[in-house]
Amino acid sequence: MFELARYDAEKRVRGAAVLSGGIVALVAMYAWIWPNIESSTVDFDQYIEAFPPALREMFGIRSLGTIEGYLATELYAFVWVLLLGLYFAYAGAGLVASDVERGRMDVLLAMPVSRARVVTEKLLALAVPLLAVNVVTPAAVYVSVVALGESIAVADLVAVHALSVPYLLACAGIGLLASVGASRVSVAQRAAMGVVFGLFLVESVAASTDYSWLGTLSPSRYYEPANVLVDSQYDVGGALALLAGAVALFLAGVWWFRRSDVA
Amino acid sequence: MSAIDVRNLSKHYGDLQANDDLTFTVDEGEVFGYLGPNGAGKTTTIRTLMGFQSPTSGTATLLGHDVRDESELIAAKRHVGFLPSDPAFDETVTGRRILDLHASLKGDSRREELLADFDPPLDRPVREYSSGNVQKLGIVQAFMHDPDLVVLDEPTSGLDPLMQQRFNELVRAERDAGTTVFFSSHVLSEVRRVCDRVAILRGGELVATESIEDLLDRSGKFVRARVGSAVDVAAVDVPGVHDVEASRSDGETDLTFTFTGDVSDLVAWLGTLDLHDVSVEEAPLEDVFARFYGGEV
Repeated sequence: MFELARYDAEKRVRGAAVLSGGIVALVAMYAWIWPNIESSTVDFDQYIEAFPPALREMFGIRSLGTIEGYLATELYAFVWVLLLGLYFAYAGAGLVASDVERGRMDVLLAMPVSRARVVTEKLLALAVPLLAVNVVTPAAVYVSVVALGESIAVADLVAVHALSVPYLLACAGIGLLASVGASRVSVAQRAAMGVVFGLFLVESVAASTDYSWLGTLSPSRYYEPANVLVDSQYDVGGALALLAGAVALFLAGVWWFRRSDVA
Repeated sequence: MSAIDVRNLSKHYGDLQANDDLTFTVDEGEVFGYLGPNGAGKTTTIRTLMGFQSPTSGTATLLGHDVRDESELIAAKRHVGFLPSDPAFDETVTGRRILDLHASLKGDSRREELLADFDPPLDRPVREYSSGNVQKLGIVQAFMHDPDLVVLDEPTSGLDPLMQQRFNELVRAERDAGTTVFFSSHVLSEVRRVCDRVAILRGGELVATESIEDLLDRSGKFVRARVGSAVDVAAVDVPGVHDVEASRSDGETDLTFTFTGDVSDLVAWLGTLDLHDVSVEEAPLEDVFARFYGGEV
């Protein structure tokens, strides 16, 4: 058991290292800018107040006056919710379709393994980038914050990463479903990223209107880093909803792959 | 029990009937050639047998296991080796890592022995492999777990002549060891060297299942003769001559025909001519189809 997961995980180590390194570089850049923002005479919070609500929602902007608000806005709302969400949708979209398109799936399925096992173990291998970014980044953030002479609640920092795991899994689940449904990997990747980005946009724009129910299906509705970092509010219900969604997407993907012809 | 048992198997892709009502049996321990021109539906049958797609109707068993039932098929696959046409492996990892993965899932009792004859550069990533090396890796993974049945789709494409010969030796040795080999090809000469029986597919339908001797007797030879005089088509009257064509130039006549009669008669008749050149080859598979099964290939 888990031979396929191990094999795929090994292949993902390099990509995960590059991804984590890139995020650490971003953290360093944000940390480098922070003293300028903090000491600036510009009242950023007043500036933010002038933004349309949809824009504030889209970038999760709460407050730039504190290090928590600054990180929630610059790092988590943008990099975590949007960029990493798209990354995991993209990665999920490659899970099945890339092997099918290249003809590698035939060699794989000729071995005594079930299709459900192939999908499950391929998805499990995504734990490598998922764990890497969620271990490396909080460490980098903590070190940076301390180096800046500021402080941040460790529990909040841990929570913002822990609660992001179901969110990123849901994005990967959207990718997986596209991966099983599309015959070509490029189509699957575009579809998955389009859906994640589209849902994010709809949720952001509709959130402050009477049509906020439109965002119900968007994963980004259930993961609000600013609430965790600024208000120490942990939306466990939202995380469970995301987890349930991820499991449903995964089961749908397995069900679909089991009954499809591998082209 | 037969190694492969195909019963009324059909596979349609929309309006295209890629396989139509196929029925044949591959006995244990035989080398079975699955012949047909490109596009005849050979790969479709193989993909259905391997469970990559479900049949539109009909059924098939591999080593007695129903291919429509995933858990049954997995039980069969422990004892089945498979080589797709144009096999593909992860480009970023080494051949050794790929074989290690296969070993962990199905075993590798014969890996070293196979690598002695088929030796891709195992410590290099697959992206650096030539198509011949990819094919060697494919052959090793197909046989490494000492399967009872091996299913090979166009196995010798991409192999140089030396490797083809080694491959043929491998197939013969496997048969002697009791392994069943099912392989598809569109080259009759390739199949005749190793097969006991063949099934011939055309346009998705099975047109014949027979022993290789019977097929070769019926397929005949392709004869080309250059004669130093004017010879009329009607003058080529040896029994067993078909499709005679003659073209004249500079006082010579180029004769071509297919011959299915007694070779002694042919040689005797050729002896009466002023021959400048003669060649006798196995009839191309396309001609075999055209001759015995009528119509266009």
